[in-house]
Amino acid sequence: AAGAPKPLPSSGPKSLREMPHPLATSSSEEMGPPLTPSPDLLLPRSIADKDLSLPNGTPVDTSSPASSSSLLNRLQLDDDLDVETRDLFVTVDDPKKHVCTMETYITYRVTTKTTRAEFDLPEYSVRRRYQDFDWLRNKLEESQPTHLIPPLPEKFVVKGVVDRFSEEFVETRRKALDKFLKRITDHPVLSFNEHFNVFLTAKDLNAYKKQGMALLSKMGESVKYVTGGYKLRSRPLEFAAIGDYLDTFSLKLGTIDRIAQRIIKEQLEYLVELREYGPVYSTWGGLEVELSEPLEGVSACIGNCCTALEELSEDMTEDFLPVLREYILYAESMKNVLKKRDQVQAEYEAKLEAVALKREDRPKVPTDVEKCQDRVECFNADLKADMERWQNNKRQDFRQLLMGMADKNIQYYEKCLTAWESIIPLLQDKPETK
Amino acid sequence: MEDCLAKKMEITVSEAEKRTGRNAMNIQETYTAYLIETRAVESQNEGQCAPVESLWRRYSEFELLRNYLSVTYPHIVVPPLPEKRADFVWHKLSADNMDPDFVERRRIGLENFLLRVASHPVLCQDKIFYAFLMQEGGWKEMVNETGFQLKADSRLKALNATFRVKSPDKRFTELKHYSDELQSVISHLLRVRARVADRLYGVYKVHGNYGRVFSEWSAIEKEMGDGLQSAGHHMDVYAASIDDILEEEEHYADQLKEYLFYAEALRAVCRKHELMQYDLEMAAQDLTSKKQQCEELATGTVRTFSLKGMTSKLFGQETPEQREAKIKVLEEQIQEGEEQLKSKNLEGRDFVKSAWADIERFKEQKNHDLKEALISYAVMQISMCKKGIQVWTNAKECFSKM
Repeated sequence: AAGAPKPLPSSGPKSLREMPHPLATSSSEEMGPPLTPSPDLLLPRSIADKDLSLPNGTPVDTSSPASSSSLLNRLQLDDDLDVETRDLFVTVDDPKKHVCTMETYITYRVTTKTTRAEFDLPEYSVRRRYQDFDWLRNKLEESQPTHLIPPLPEKFVVKGVVDRFSEEFVETRRKALDKFLKRITDHPVLSFNEHFNVFLTAKDLNAYKKQGMALLSKMGESVKYVTGGYKLRSRPLEFAAIGDYLDTFSLKLGTIDRIAQRIIKEQLEYLVELREYGPVYSTWGGLEVELSEPLEGVSACIGNCCTALEELSEDMTEDFLPVLREYILYAESMKNVLKKRDQVQAEYEAKLEAVALKREDRPKVPTDVEKCQDRVECFNADLKADMERWQNNKRQDFRQLLMGMADKNIQYYEKCLTAWESIIPLLQDKPETK
Repeated sequence: MEDCLAKKMEITVSEAEKRTGRNAMNIQETYTAYLIETRAVESQNEGQCAPVESLWRRYSEFELLRNYLSVTYPHIVVPPLPEKRADFVWHKLSADNMDPDFVERRRIGLENFLLRVASHPVLCQDKIFYAFLMQEGGWKEMVNETGFQLKADSRLKALNATFRVKSPDKRFTELKHYSDELQSVISHLLRVRARVADRLYGVYKVHGNYGRVFSEWSAIEKEMGDGLQSAGHHMDVYAASIDDILEEEEHYADQLKEYLFYAEALRAVCRKHELMQYDLEMAAQDLTSKKQQCEELATGTVRTFSLKGMTSKLFGQETPEQREAKIKVLEEQIQEGEEQLKSKNLEGRDFVKSAWADIERFKEQKNHDLKEALISYAVMQISMCKKGIQVWTNAKECFSKM
């Protein structure tokens, strides 16, 4: 039977900076020449030099490298990330269309303002297109497999059905890309990722991309750990609970998406009828003498309501639905991370079992099993921390989203109310006796 | 001017009841009977309230009354009855005549009809109308004894007149066009309104689904749960609110329908004028031709071609005695004709005068009523908007507590 994971014997408190990330090395037994601090773990000087202790005063046990990044997560979580303590700001705006011989595409301006030491300059402004964001996301998934990477808006758009260059589509996408980068910016680990840094700063991202490909092929699948073929017996309760939660969550969001779409559809059909309804009053007004103005007034009023309704439907389509879909995508990618975690645990348990079966009288657990254990613990810690953050952000995001939906409806009714209230005096008006 | 009946008497159609009975062909049928209650308006000094009198009538009796009034007072724009069958319905409403909502709206419509007649300066004085309100038994016989059916103009005759009349009063021609256009535009309006109601119903009801899914979602949430759950409740309230809103709107639709049918009554007056005018023109034409014939016979000259003239030329002339006899007959007919023409002219002028007076009265009533209807419609919309703002504000507050 697999033994309980034991902590590694302490080699004394080391600066976090010097400790290689347990997941940065390959699964091979031999440790290669000591790597320079992996690109995946660039820690701010400030934390590395401090005597670490949790906010409640208990000293932190930094002996287990497994908890290093999650430690950072936890410390950062307790910080209120208001504007003053933030040192990195990223914005996506200014979409522009580029027409080339081979293709037409949109680029967005990505503006960065920062005081972080990892950045050479305090400000950057670069242009990026969707595939650059896609590249970034893939890189983050590869290099930070234990973390929840925010979703991107859908990649593929059915040509002919949706106009990729329409103002509405571009704006919706821009908002989603902006949200994507902001989520990374807010993440205590992801925001220090080297690829993210390059994405924000490099003038020629394509050159870096090519370079990165070459590097990767040299190092082999060093960062990407392939854990195929191991089957997990059972998910630990807390992760099973997360899995169940995500399943139900996705389901409910899917239902809400369908309901919202149905409402928009019904509203548009209502709008079609209203557009025919209003002008009939006008036609009638043309027949009448004394009733002419009141009837025209009603016609104009209905016209105003049509405009208001159109705005409501547009807002819901552009602002509400995309965020909903983002979260469905988020949940999907999170479920995948959970599966990866299962894989890592399964590998560990399998190896542990293999060792136990050998029945060797070895008090010491072999190195590669130790590494597996580290990986499991690290993964679990990162995932838990990210889940907590995700839950909090999700609550805020949905609070904002749903309040926004309520607001839009309120505004719609207020516009209609104003229109109808303003014609009451017109309707009551008695024509002057001539 | 004598006070109209409406001022002297309270009239209500207070109840509707389903009945079964045997009709004229001894076949069993189900129908609705309406209770008409009347009470004389007493002056303050009396102190006591007069007793309520009541009787039951069915829709077909109302129809009989209206037909009688239309024929007897062709120069009056006779108030219309509420629709016989449910028309312009949107999907939720039943097109079934036995449906309680339809029956209720019809009850109100019938009461409105009686009040309209009772407040009309001419119609309210009619004895048959009074009997309709007060005398349950033998009323039908009374109406039939007036012989009004005989006075009714045939539809065909009226149609014929429409096409052949040469110089109708211009005002009536304009009015005819107006009433045609009014019918068309109100029909269109009612049809679209029904579709609008249908769609609006759909929009509101789908929101009810939010209630259920928010409730289910709240079950897996910790902090967000309460906010979601209570917001869902408000979505249910929102979805349910449309029923009352649309029911109120039906009253507006009924007001429009009344004037849709009023347009037909207006048209009927125009038709009567056309008929009378045509009649007059025919009579004048007839008189002219007879005079001409007379002249020809007397002078022996044939001014116009006539088959008789040709045949007499071909087959021999008539004897002077025969000619004299003919002239005498014609002169008599001409005398009659001239008198008839005079009275027809007088009739025509009287008709135009009294019809036009009632039309002016009707126009004022129409403008007033429709303005009121539009105001009440606007008020309904305002109420709907306010309810919407309330619900969404409540929902927003729930969301804010998430």
